[in-house]
Amino acid sequence: MLTKTSPTLADGTKIADLVMPDTREVRMRVLSDPEIYDLEMERIFGKIWLFLGHESEIPKAGDFVVRDMGSDSVIVSRDKEGQVHVMLNVCSHRGMRVSTLDGGNTQIHKCIYHGWAFRPNGDFIGSPVERECMHGKMTPKEQLGLKKARVTLYGGLVFATWNIDGPSFEEFLGDAKWYYDMLFCRSDKGMEVLGPPQRFVVRANWKAAGEQSAADGFHTLTLHRWLGEVGNYSKKGEGEGEGGDLSPEMYGVEISSPHGHALRCIDLARKIRRMTGLDPTELSVRQKLDALPPVGMTKDMVSQLYNNLSEEQLAVMTTMPPQVGGMFPNVLFGFVYIPQADGSVVGSLTMHAYVPRGPDKLEFVNWIFAEKDAPPELREKMLKQTIQLFGTSGMVEQDDSDTWPHMTLSAKGAMGRTMTLKYQACYETGAPKGWPGPGIVNEGFTKDDTQWHWWMYWRDLMTAEA
Amino acid sequence: MQDVQERTITGSTEIGQRVPVGTTDYNRIVEFLYEEASLLDQIRLKEWSARLAPDLVYTAPLRETRGMSHQAATFVRTVQHYHDDYRSVMGRIMRLTGTKSAWAEDPPSRTRRLVTNVLVHTTPNPEEFAVVSYLLVTRSRFNFDDHDLISAERHDLLRRDGDSFKLARREILLDQAVIGTPNLAIFL
Repeated sequence: MLTKTSPTLADGTKIADLVMPDTREVRMRVLSDPEIYDLEMERIFGKIWLFLGHESEIPKAGDFVVRDMGSDSVIVSRDKEGQVHVMLNVCSHRGMRVSTLDGGNTQIHKCIYHGWAFRPNGDFIGSPVERECMHGKMTPKEQLGLKKARVTLYGGLVFATWNIDGPSFEEFLGDAKWYYDMLFCRSDKGMEVLGPPQRFVVRANWKAAGEQSAADGFHTLTLHRWLGEVGNYSKKGEGEGEGGDLSPEMYGVEISSPHGHALRCIDLARKIRRMTGLDPTELSVRQKLDALPPVGMTKDMVSQLYNNLSEEQLAVMTTMPPQVGGMFPNVLFGFVYIPQADGSVVGSLTMHAYVPRGPDKLEFVNWIFAEKDAPPELREKMLKQTIQLFGTSGMVEQDDSDTWPHMTLSAKGAMGRTMTLKYQACYETGAPKGWPGPGIVNEGFTKDDTQWHWWMYWRDLMTAEA
Repeated sequence: MQDVQERTITGSTEIGQRVPVGTTDYNRIVEFLYEEASLLDQIRLKEWSARLAPDLVYTAPLRETRGMSHQAATFVRTVQHYHDDYRSVMGRIMRLTGTKSAWAEDPPSRTRRLVTNVLVHTTPNPEEFAVVSYLLVTRSRFNFDDHDLISAERHDLLRRDGDSFKLARREILLDQAVIGTPNLAIFL
């Protein structure tokens, strides 16, 4: 257990009091206060595992990309042995950024200022004019390397933390791993990116996006109503509601974790019924997988699932697959079945990181994925569809990116900052009978439980012993 | 001056002779671009859509910051910001005009599309012209007192359609690696 302390803000407010378990409210100043932001950089982004990209972005020895861990720029690189390293993009000499690029390939990262040079694993190679010993005789060469983060690859996804002796990545994922494995570790060859990520800035606090990614289902009904009006969900089966009503999509099972991870597992029964004309409860797991393969997979790929997942996981995958959710603190995943006009379904696989850029600005980074052995025509369809619905020009997410800035502005008001975000639709309905998966499980209509757990973990971290 | 266009990325279109500034075809093309900018700024999206060819390809590559010796890698055409065709552009227009819930543009941005530096070349098809233009969009949102700026070079393929043209291909080469506006809910 984390040891609780009571850090206080300059005006005497205790951080712990910003999140109010009795009434399930959060003080809105958390979305604008620079003092809180600075603490987050230290206590959250300086401590826990952060998502930086995918190893398929740097396939060859010497390949690197430049990414962010909170407010710090880092180099993510691959060495000659194939190992992936993450190191602070700050020259150990005078603090210049060692790389000013978005990526490239090199065996020597040489600082353009005074020429100190580093290997792809961050080790110090040397400084110019070796015989004059420009790097001095005080700090030994072994200690002049770039500051290294601890790295984990999970399904090819690259995660890093500055907390060298802290919890393992597996401990960090906890019970949620059972579900994430269904997304990231389901196939034999794994996923790859379809290209570098889209990037754009939103003038909003990172938590406006972060808390939404903890499986906010409710906002879909209003903010994304167009999906039911003219979009991909407007064609409905008999007795499935009318017009812009998206509420039938809101039933399922929601998973959360004491570490703020969250997944919305959405009922697949209506889709399978529509595709097959058969009652899904009468179909075997294999029949369901063949009728509607998991997002981004084809019928030919279905047998791979049996090599990588348990029977229990397959049961969940064919009834209530995780489709959208997040990883604490700033990651969203979308593994979404998108209905097409011709009655078929095309999958969309995305991950976003909401990189903090100050108390009122975030950088939206959007990666698009496919399974490595998905056929080219499927990859092309998934790529186009994902770009048209998510990310920079995506018809779904362009509405989100216009919402978060207004929440952030509200939180700057002298009165507004004292108001609260409410998570009072917490219903703790529990797991459906016979549910095989671990974690905090709640069935039925979407609700606030997962987002509330996100805030509770934020509070844990912000008040933990430094 | 003939090689100006060769330095830029023109995609798959084969470029022929320069169509001199001030000629009838050149003037009509500039007029098309001005009218188009005006329709989009006035949010007359359905009228704009009548100027699109049914085989339209509409894309905006990503940009990456790369070293001087790797400038080809600065344009990314795998994942892009826009990756559309006629059908999907019409879908976007339907969302913006046919629903009451396209919140990204409701209330709509106030935009100004400034189109300059127009250079026109012939192509192997006498009915089609390769057109490069510079674009600066000023985008004013809500009561914010600053503008979002979107700067780009556009590479178009215009197809003759009576006295005017239809847009058959548009590639928008944005200048920013990190886009400085919260979405591309507007057409460029």
